[in-house]
Amino acid sequence: MNNKNKFPTRSGLVFFFLKGSIGLFASGIVFSMLVAFLDMVNPKIIQYTVDYLIGDSESTMPFYMQLLIGISGGKAYLKTHLFVIACIVITIAIVCGICRYLNKVLNSMAAEKLIKRMRDILFDHISHLPFAWHGENHTGDIIQRCTSDVETIKVFLSEQLTSLFRIVIMITFGLIFMFQIHVKLALISLAFIPVLVLYSLFFHNRIGNAFREADEEEGRLSAIAQENLTGVRVVRAFGRETYERHRFEKKNDAYTKLWIKLMMLLSAFWTSNDLIAGVQCMVVLVMGCVFAVRGEITVGEMIAFYSYNAMVSWPVRMLGRVISEMSKAGVSVDRLREIMNAEIETDREGATEPSLDKDIEFNNVSFSYDNGSSEILKNVSFKVKAGETIGVLGGTGSGKSTLMYLLDRLYELPEDQGTISIGGVDIRNIKMHYLRRNIGLVLQEPFLFSRTLKENIAITRKTPELKDVTRAAKLASLDETIRNFDAGYDTFVGERGVTLSGGQKQRTAIAQMLITEPPIMIFDDSLSAVDTETDAKIRAALDKHASGATTILISHRITTLMHADHIIVLSHGELIEEGTHDELVEKGGLYRKIYDIQMQGGEERA
Amino acid sequence: MPESKENKEIVKLPWMGIPRLLPYLKPYRYRMMIMIFLGAMVSLVDSIVPLFNRYAINNYVVKGTLEGISRFALLYALVLVVKLCMDFTSAYMCGQIEMSVDRDLRNAAFNHLQELSFSYFNQNNVGYIHARVMSDTGKIGMLVAWRMMDIIWNGSYILFVLIVMLSINVRLALYILALVPIAVVLVIYFQKHLIVLNRHIRELNSTITSNFNEGITGAKAIKTLVVEKKIQDDFTRDTESYRKNAVHATHYSALFTASVTMLSSCALALALWRGGKITMEGVMEIGTLSVFLSYALGILEPIQNIIVTISDLIAVQVNVERLTRLLNTESDVADSKEVIEKYGDTFNPKKENWEELYGDVEFKDVSFHYPDGTEYVLENFDLKVPQGTNVAIVGETGAGKSTLVNLVCRFFEPTKGQVLIDGRDARERSQLWLHSNIGYVLQTPHLFSGSVRENLKYGNPDATDEEIWNALKLVSAEEIVKRMDKGLDSDVGEGGDMLSTGEKQLLSFARAILADPKILVLDEATSSIDTVTEKAIQDAISVVIKGRTSFMIAHRLSTVVDADVILVVKDGKIIERGKHKELMKNKQGYYYSLFSRQYEEMSIKAIG
Repeated sequence: MNNKNKFPTRSGLVFFFLKGSIGLFASGIVFSMLVAFLDMVNPKIIQYTVDYLIGDSESTMPFYMQLLIGISGGKAYLKTHLFVIACIVITIAIVCGICRYLNKVLNSMAAEKLIKRMRDILFDHISHLPFAWHGENHTGDIIQRCTSDVETIKVFLSEQLTSLFRIVIMITFGLIFMFQIHVKLALISLAFIPVLVLYSLFFHNRIGNAFREADEEEGRLSAIAQENLTGVRVVRAFGRETYERHRFEKKNDAYTKLWIKLMMLLSAFWTSNDLIAGVQCMVVLVMGCVFAVRGEITVGEMIAFYSYNAMVSWPVRMLGRVISEMSKAGVSVDRLREIMNAEIETDREGATEPSLDKDIEFNNVSFSYDNGSSEILKNVSFKVKAGETIGVLGGTGSGKSTLMYLLDRLYELPEDQGTISIGGVDIRNIKMHYLRRNIGLVLQEPFLFSRTLKENIAITRKTPELKDVTRAAKLASLDETIRNFDAGYDTFVGERGVTLSGGQKQRTAIAQMLITEPPIMIFDDSLSAVDTETDAKIRAALDKHASGATTILISHRITTLMHADHIIVLSHGELIEEGTHDELVEKGGLYRKIYDIQMQGGEERA
Repeated sequence: MPESKENKEIVKLPWMGIPRLLPYLKPYRYRMMIMIFLGAMVSLVDSIVPLFNRYAINNYVVKGTLEGISRFALLYALVLVVKLCMDFTSAYMCGQIEMSVDRDLRNAAFNHLQELSFSYFNQNNVGYIHARVMSDTGKIGMLVAWRMMDIIWNGSYILFVLIVMLSINVRLALYILALVPIAVVLVIYFQKHLIVLNRHIRELNSTITSNFNEGITGAKAIKTLVVEKKIQDDFTRDTESYRKNAVHATHYSALFTASVTMLSSCALALALWRGGKITMEGVMEIGTLSVFLSYALGILEPIQNIIVTISDLIAVQVNVERLTRLLNTESDVADSKEVIEKYGDTFNPKKENWEELYGDVEFKDVSFHYPDGTEYVLENFDLKVPQGTNVAIVGETGAGKSTLVNLVCRFFEPTKGQVLIDGRDARERSQLWLHSNIGYVLQTPHLFSGSVRENLKYGNPDATDEEIWNALKLVSAEEIVKRMDKGLDSDVGEGGDMLSTGEKQLLSFARAILADPKILVLDEATSSIDTVTEKAIQDAISVVIKGRTSFMIAHRLSTVVDADVILVVKDGKIIERGKHKELMKNKQGYYYSLFSRQYEEMSIKAIG
């Protein structure tokens, strides 16, 4: 499937995200325009009241005002019953209030629907991206994209872009009214608009940059604090408190200085912005006086003009902001586009679900993580018979974990780099989820979810049955440990709960795998943090209860491997020895060497 | 999660907790006074500006003359410029105060943490402590600067406007004033709900972020377990709950703004109706009416602001309380006054008074339980560790092997009895003195972001490159550093995450060796290194521990056979002790069973 260009443009992705919320946004915008319009009407009413009723001026008025006055009882009646005007003002306010409420609620419904859709889609997409993608991208970076970039886009669409409509309406109506009142005065006021917009744009970019700088510095400062806290034992044991203090204070100072600089910029921006707006008001007032004295406009008109002017200045300032935010949001969209355009894992056409309790065969497997760089595996071939236990011995970086990742298709073996087959079927032709479900791979560095122990062990089940959970836990020598916790199987693990030791985590991961009873089990050095006694206990339990499964044991502990039916030894990506324990010891190669090292103590002294 | 703990920790502090912060504000008191003064002045000018309109309308427009308008314009412009200057200064100052207080609080919290004992770190997780240093301080800085400024500006604005309104027309002003209590009740009602709703939303938001975190960092586990669907369903449930709550909160805030603006319109209508009447009666001028209208419209917003600000203050109390609690926490392990006088404190050591540490360690009738527990893990424990002795501690995972080490390092102090260093109670000399003589390799190696060199020199800032290379050679870590593109200057990444666990362990080993400590502590240091490297390290260890007092926590029994004393720990207690050969004699013993299980089968096979 080719989805490389699934979202070739920014707007393509934005509209994809907007599916389902665009109607709500539109209706919200309709109400916001109504609000803008009604906000404009009130000054009009005040103008005519002051002018026509209180001030007795004979200015001509548009027919809708005449109509309104006619309906309300005519000029003479209104003059003595000013409260009718007050009622009109309040009525308009009520209508306006309802519109305002509907606008906000509709907009928020749309915005929340949008952000939910964005998050759900991103999460789903990311979890279906190949593991290679995860390796290439930093966790922090992806999370930032999924949180702050998503937020930026939401804010831009729901606040800035929707207010754009209102801004345009307000500016248009404001200008129309202003021009109706007095063309020259309107032109004078209008002359300030480009100044304000350009000015905001200029500052926004600089402030944006300063913010970014300060953010990055904050990240560094925060990292120092984090490291100091997680490494508190090291700091104390080496007596380096003073050094840590200087390090922190130095960064803290640098950070504070950046912020103070930013504050300077912000203060300059705010106040000078206010000044420009203030000068505009002043000029309008003074010139308004001049025109009024010349008899070109009435008092009421002047007051109304003044309030329209004030009303237009806010949207104008907003306009500058919207424009500068637009580029920021654009960057965020691009960052999400990178994620969404990454290709997800898919099954080949005609992929099957064959039974997997068969022989596994690695045939001439070569592999390197990023194309062309050093090969992790070189022409590795071996066979695992169904139901057999095979041991894999190898040093750090020998490629033993990679071998298992390939079998589980966490990484896809390229077409011309050999084959891996189960029961004669190339694993690339087996449905991926089916394959993984049937291979129980216990990782070297186990990952537990922030849930209870029970839920963790039964993570592959829809509903956790305590009976099955305890069975798996017992096999993994974990039952007793768990029962010693206050909350037992309901103990919460992860960042909000207890911290398990490395060995406990590994045993939980083993239980997690055992509960699925897979036909193929892989232990990728998953007993390294478990002491030898428990290690032996677990292996004995496995031998007894899961003997039918094909088992692959990876370890650097000879005692773990020695009982395997067959052992292979990997070194720098190559299979250098294989055979049973006795054969390998006999042979006197690398296995023997390692065996001797581990044996040393035992043989001499036991 | 720190966020969820917030609920339980809401406390009422007198005066919003500000008195507790006073010492940190003192250095900025003059600047704060200027800020307060300027804030009040700015609001005075803001409240006066509409009067220019009145003056212009009444004196020029109504009278039909332009005489003196240029002087009027000049004065207006002057006021604007003065306001600009005050505005800028007060805003800048506000920012300065905010950031400075922030910085001082962060430093204070960080420095205090450097002296707190381990029981604090055991009882509070890193995320929680980190939030105290990084986010509480920020919120407090905001409080003493911007919130303060908000209250001053809005408060004095309301005051000035009231004065002006009352001076224009008392009766009319009272009409408007009658609306104020309604506004106050309205704002308080909504604000109360909104605080709760928003807190809940923040919690949900951080849940979603940690979901993302879990989904991404746990990608490998999710894929191998094929639980994508389940995790996705849970995620969707959380985002749905977030959506519902967010819309619900908006419903309140929308009602809130709609009703407040409606109230402003009521004020306007009221002023128009009553004011229009008296203007028609000739009691008030038209210009005055227009000014009054704009005041009537403008007074409700500052009232709303001030109440929102106050409710923010209430919310910040939690942060104040948590930070002050941290600053008030006293270390369980503290040096006495006399000790500090002689040996100096953590930040000002008097190294000239430090005695050379020889390396005799003795536990004398030590009983101990952890501060957060009551069960004794050591009772009347005696052990002499003469200089140069190699002590090995063995036992199952989680059996409590770290306890002795914690006591030797004085991370904890005995509940009863004494730990003697060179024959004197450890408490008679400073912690820093002891720590400066200890080398430590952790179970989970911890490196700091920075270069390899910086990390290796951590325990010995004066080490030369030659010494560094020698140390690396000793632990066979030369290759690792040589392989990196910049050698010793290569960056290790945050927490050393550019290196594998094994590599980190080797480097942390070299770091401990460089410090050339008198006492060496090794905590399961060899558990995740492959056998060949492990062998090399073990060789290095035997070189390094020669002549040093050492404590080794080990999983692998092959590590411990050479030890002078082996302590066997089970369920937190030391049940056997002695040399390997002595312990092996007791065929019913725990050590024997631990040891033989590992080697028995193997030796049989080797022979047969």
